Order: sequence, then structure tokens, then C-alpha cells
Amino acid sequence: MDIEAVRTRLLDFILIGERKEATDLLDDWARRFHWRAAIVELLEPVLDEVGKRWSAEKISLAAGYMAGKIAEDVLLKAVQAEEAIPQIKGPVVIGNIEDDYHSLGRKLVTIFLRTAGWRVIDLGNDVRAEEFVDAAVANEAKIIGVSAMMLTTAENIRNVRQEMDRRGLSGRIKLAVGGAVFKMRPELVDEVGGDGTVASAVDAPRLMAQLSGMEDAHDLA
Amino acid sequence: MTSLERVLLALQGKPQPSPPFTLTLSLYGARLTGCPLIEYYRRPERYLEGQEAVVDLCAPDIVFSPFALTLEAEAFGSELKFLPDNPPNIRKPAIRSADDFIRLPLPDVDSNPSLLYLRESVRLLTGRYQGEKAICGVVTAPVDLPAIVMGIDQWIETLLFSPEKAVIILEKAHRHFVAQANALMADGANFIALPTMFANPQILYPKLIDEVILPSFARSLAEVKGPIVFHHGGNLMVPSLGKYLALPNVVAYAVDHRDSLAEARRILGPDRLLLGNLNGPTLSRTPMDTVLSRVDRILEDRRDDPCFIFATSGADVPFDTPPALLQAISAKIRAVAWVI
Repeated sequence: MDIEAVRTRLLDFILIGERKEATDLLDDWARRFHWRAAIVELLEPVLDEVGKRWSAEKISLAAGYMAGKIAEDVLLKAVQAEEAIPQIKGPVVIGNIEDDYHSLGRKLVTIFLRTAGWRVIDLGNDVRAEEFVDAAVANEAKIIGVSAMMLTTAENIRNVRQEMDRRGLSGRIKLAVGGAVFKMRPELVDEVGGDGTVASAVDAPRLMAQLSGMEDAHDLA
Repeated sequence: MTSLERVLLALQGKPQPSPPFTLTLSLYGARLTGCPLIEYYRRPERYLEGQEAVVDLCAPDIVFSPFALTLEAEAFGSELKFLPDNPPNIRKPAIRSADDFIRLPLPDVDSNPSLLYLRESVRLLTGRYQGEKAICGVVTAPVDLPAIVMGIDQWIETLLFSPEKAVIILEKAHRHFVAQANALMADGANFIALPTMFANPQILYPKLIDEVILPSFARSLAEVKGPIVFHHGGNLMVPSLGKYLALPNVVAYAVDHRDSLAEARRILGPDRLLLGNLNGPTLSRTPMDTVLSRVDRILEDRRDDPCFIFATSGADVPFDTPPALLQAISAKIRAVAWVI
């Protein structure tokens, strides 16, 4: 079977919102080649394409959400089949910055990172700068990922950078930033002290790979 | 000529030398009066003072009721966090599931404190500016209300995977929306502005919009006893503008700053009112020369368009925007002398 054709079908199912058809297709691939193959050979390349289109505002938030749900379905089934994707990358500490309660993007980032084999420590909403840095130190995380939806809350991310500087951790720990406001105002990444961002949750594994110096975001070996 | 007359002329497509204008300065009034926001968004008389200061500063033709949709979420039980320089944010949604929403009682527009604050603000604005300024009541779109009551993720989840529950929820949101919008109209609003996200293909699948959202939305809008401004809600509107032309009672369309006004005009035809499209939320960080050049380009683009109201697009103008910039924008628009 032409794997490109299968990937195209999977992408189409996501783009038109057919969750069952998408998971059936992945189930079928897993039956023949194992869950790991379904994730690495089918799902991840398709999520890459979803990410590109999402970043270019070519697909809806709902389609991005659908992609996340399908990824979550697959991860769950892989775990049930005792073929859990090993969480061998990271860990990454993530959360919404102080005063920010818009959790959707963060939840999707968590799903996509775990799908790509990252161990994620999710601190939730309204997280203070000290808590981010404490969690990174305690878990020996090399990346802190901070989400904010609005300009005013994004500015609180400066406190994370300042706290990292104060403890002499800048350079040793990278600061990834994300959220709607960074898409609208890319220059804000530098202004708040971020080391990088991506325009959609699906692209989070690529960003984390870049920040950690890995060459291939999809290398699970 | 009063501001209200200018706005009505634009609505009727009658020529005038310069376009009416408004800037989204709901929040900004608190900056001008120095009012703490916890007070500004709780005491209608303080809100009025803020809007009086806005009118004194730059004399917009339209004044807004509090642009704080989260207060409607609070009426349903959501917990708010008050910020020092922004409208209140939702700390915790009232509920976390579609089933909870279906069981949730609707707040009473005549007794709920959060809704009464919004209503009393409109009454005070009406008492102060009736016949002089156009008064805009801002209401949460019924298709967006579930997102602020139970969270965006839960509303998307329901729309995608439990369509039968989504229909029940939309019916419930419809009843609240009609009650709130008509209450604001009865309190003196000249029209209702409706920022809308969940009817936009940047948010939802087009099929879902066409088959579930728009039929419900149309029924809700048909029951509003007054004109409606359909607002882009932070998303590009022009690519999907054609979907909204048949919505009842919609007399005007407020487009995003990234949209093309000329393309919007082409889709709307010559007679429908168009508003926009200066980027409001970035004004505080944009040099004055750049902003004023953009104002010039918008005015040139809409030159001699009688159905146009110059407005900021997007959410509130930020707290830290220099007052001199707002005055300069106002002066530039007022100085236009279109030969019509």
C-alpha cells in the first residue's frame, strides 16, 4: 500500500472532522505494523502537515483540536496495547503564565509533545515565574514552555526570564513561549526573553527539538 | 450635526464630508479617570465617568457599554480575576461539561448583579448621551456563550462530538442572549455589537457552521429588537463574510484589521454599513507616525464611501496608549473633507 496515499487519507479525515475514520485507519495500520509504526509513519508526518496549515491559518482551531483528539486516541490505544511511546525526550515543564487561564493551547501542546515522545510536566494555569523555574530545576528539565493568550499576560513571561537569569540558569535552560498573542506579534518573543516559538501547538515538538539541540524532532530512537 | 446623526447618515448611506468614527475605548475610560478596574467594572457610575472622559478626550461618535463579556460568564457562575490594566479575565469557568450546562439555570437579567451592572451602565450612558451619541450595547454572541461558561475546549468538544447536546446548549444560550440583548435595547442602546468567534471558519469546520451554528444564530438574531453590528471577534472576516449576509437584523459588519476593506465592500455591496479597521490592541506599541499613516490609508481606501464608519478593530485599545495618539487619530478623521 502506498503510504503517502494513506497519509493523505488521514489528513483528509482530520481536515473534514472525521475522527472515527481517522482512528480506524490508524487502528488498521497498527494491526498490521504495530502502534509505533502507526504513530511514527502515519500520524507524525500528518501532524507535521496539520501544523504547517494551522500556522498559515489554512485550517480551523477545530481541526487542530481534532488532530489532538486523534493523537490522544492513538496514544491511549498504544498504552493499552502495551506499546506505549517511550517518553524518552525531555522532560519539558509547561504551563500558562501567571494570570493566564486559557488552557486549550497548553493541553494540545501536551498531547502533541507526548505523541512525539516527550515527557511533559504540566503545571496548569496561572503559574508564577518561580514555580516554573523550581519545577525545571527539580525535574532537571532543559526547557520551560510558557503559554499566554493576551499581551498583558504575555508580559508576565519576562519574570520567568528574570528568574532564570537571577539563578544563573539562562543558557542552561531554554524558554519556549507560545499562544495567540505571539502569532499576532512575533517581536514579542524577544521582548519577553523567549528563546523561540511556533505558530501552532502541533509544531511544539519541532520547537522543543530545536531548543534542545536535537536534529530531528521525530527521532524516537 | 450630532454624532448620532452622523452614524444614522452612514447607516442610510447618505454622503457626509467625513466618516463617523469610534475607537474601542471601553477600558480606556478607567485610565483617564484613574479608576481601579475592580471598581470600574462593578459600579456603573464610575464606568460612566470613564466614558465621559473618553468623550472629552477624542469625541467618538459611538460610545460603548462595558466591553467585558466575562461579566456574562460571571452571571452564569464563572469566577473572574480582576487585572490592573485589562478587563476581567475568567479564572475558572462556571462548569466543565455539556451536561452541566444543560442543567445550569439561566441568570435573570432583572436581578443578576453582573448583568444589572451592564444594564445600568447602558441606562447611565443613555441618560447622559441620548440623542447625542450612538450608544452601543455589547453582548456575547449566543454561539460563543458556552465557551466562556464552560471553557473553549469543552465547547469545541461538544460541538464536534456531541452535536445533540450542542443543539440543546445553543437553545439555552439563545434564551439568555435574546433576554440580555433586548434588555440593553430597552435600557437605551441604539444597537447591539456582537463579537463572534464560533461562526468563523478559522474556529470551526465550515460544515458545522453551516448546518448547526448559523441556523441557530439566525433564529437568535431575529428576536433582537434592534439593529446589530456583526463583529469579527478577532478573526479574519472577509473570507467568510458571504455566510453572514442573510443573518437577520444585522445592519453592519466590523471587520478585522487584516481584512481588506475594499474586498469587504465588494462582498457587502454598496449599501451595507462597514466598520473598521485600524488595529486597536497594538496602538500602545506603534509609533504615532505609523498609526497616522495607517489612518490615512484607511481613509483613502474608503474615500467617498458613505456607508463606512472608521473604527478600531479588535479588543479594547490598551491602557497604556498615549492620550495624544487618540486625539491625533480623532483630529485626522475629523479633518477629512470628502467631496461627495
